[in-house]
Amino acid sequence: MDNGHSHTMMVMKTPKSVDLSITNNCNLRCSYCYHFTSESESGSDLSTDEWLCFFEELNKCAVMDVTIAGGEPFLRGDLKELIEGVVRNRMRFSILSNGTLITDEMAAFISATGRCNSVQISIDGSFPGSHDAFRGEGNFAKAVAGLKHLQNHHIPVTVRVTIHRHNVNDLEAIARFLFDELKLPGFSTNAASYAGLCRSFADEVQLTVDERSLAMETLLRLNKQYEGRIVAQAGPLAEAHHWLEMEAARLEKREPMTDCGYLRSCGGVFSKMAVRADGEMVPCSQMSHIELGRINRDDLGEVWRNHPELIRLRDRRDISLGEFDSCKECEYLPYCRGNCPAMAYTIVGDENHPSPDACLRLFLEAGGRLPEPA
Amino acid sequence: MIQERKPLASPLLVLREEFDDWAILFNPDTGDSFGLNPVSVFIFKHLDGTSTLHDIMQKLCLECQDTPDDAEQYVQVFIDDLVERGFAGYEIGVGS
Repeated sequence: MDNGHSHTMMVMKTPKSVDLSITNNCNLRCSYCYHFTSESESGSDLSTDEWLCFFEELNKCAVMDVTIAGGEPFLRGDLKELIEGVVRNRMRFSILSNGTLITDEMAAFISATGRCNSVQISIDGSFPGSHDAFRGEGNFAKAVAGLKHLQNHHIPVTVRVTIHRHNVNDLEAIARFLFDELKLPGFSTNAASYAGLCRSFADEVQLTVDERSLAMETLLRLNKQYEGRIVAQAGPLAEAHHWLEMEAARLEKREPMTDCGYLRSCGGVFSKMAVRADGEMVPCSQMSHIELGRINRDDLGEVWRNHPELIRLRDRRDISLGEFDSCKECEYLPYCRGNCPAMAYTIVGDENHPSPDACLRLFLEAGGRLPEPA
Repeated sequence: MIQERKPLASPLLVLREEFDDWAILFNPDTGDSFGLNPVSVFIFKHLDGTSTLHDIMQKLCLECQDTPDDAEQYVQVFIDDLVERGFAGYEIGVGS
């Protein structure tokens, strides 16, 4: 099938952004953490000097932003030194954190750099019971305290709500808590997905088909009520938006949608890459099994432009969904982009395959129902 | 005297060269970024504190075909805009 759009995408000379897992360690063991027990958790953490040396290479490559993650980045005693290295090398940064270790003094330091795009805190409930169910007792209060330290220093704070079986009925209260009590401008959602530790607790953690339907309905309604301030790139809200569009297109027999009919759901490998805590370059922190080379040994630009595995992932967008037995008769094929390659790898063992996790047809066949359009 | 001044780009800015000789000029202190066309990239790269506007124009004319007669004034406007935004300056005491 040819949808009339060019299959060729230009590749930047170097990545625009790089995700850095600066540590494998975390003070929590959340039941749906994608990091632990995945290929992302490997080797020993790099030293301060090794990271600082790599930041100089990022500077030479004109990388604009880094995302500092882990594990839990605030566990590193040298975090300030690392952030100073990022700033010295002309980059901005974001941090992904569980929030529990953020002090007033650390928030003041981050604010003073003037280079922080955002700090994302995970808050999964409106009260301790729903947040702590999978994150551990006492961590709701600590996360909220960390978030308030950031707010007090005027750092842009974002919140990620991971939806699971213990908070799917708490979504309205979560929205009220985040918007009305914490005065956040918005928040993002996803769902506990079949990766990392979640694979061991899938039945306890992952939404059932009915719960997924409920989450979509609730989030669409809340997003209307709060005027679009809830966002999502994956999980029930993203699926609700995309699946409703796909269903409307199918019913109206519309022309194929842009970039659909091929494995084109993720453009990450065209603008960013990641580094594991042990210094191995990987295409994405969720695809840590694909090793591209080591920092401070292999040339970042060379790896970025010419590594066969990155080229293979970029060429993914030329693979027609019609090549897959599971898709070729599907009525949604002209409106589908094949979903996340990392989830495809985790579930079926191949990145260059559609992911069944976010497949509308499979969801409906399992008894799922689409919400009413908002 | 103005003709003798040698503009110097801020070392804090990031010139991120992309395909087709275009570039992004990124200010990490604000997060702002600007697209530069190939001629602008050429000029920006010569804001090294050693070249006057006249020097830059000479190099540009060698690099580009059919440079318009009034190109110099447009290059000056571009440099003035960079200076106004704090993206370039002139060494204090030199030609001032």
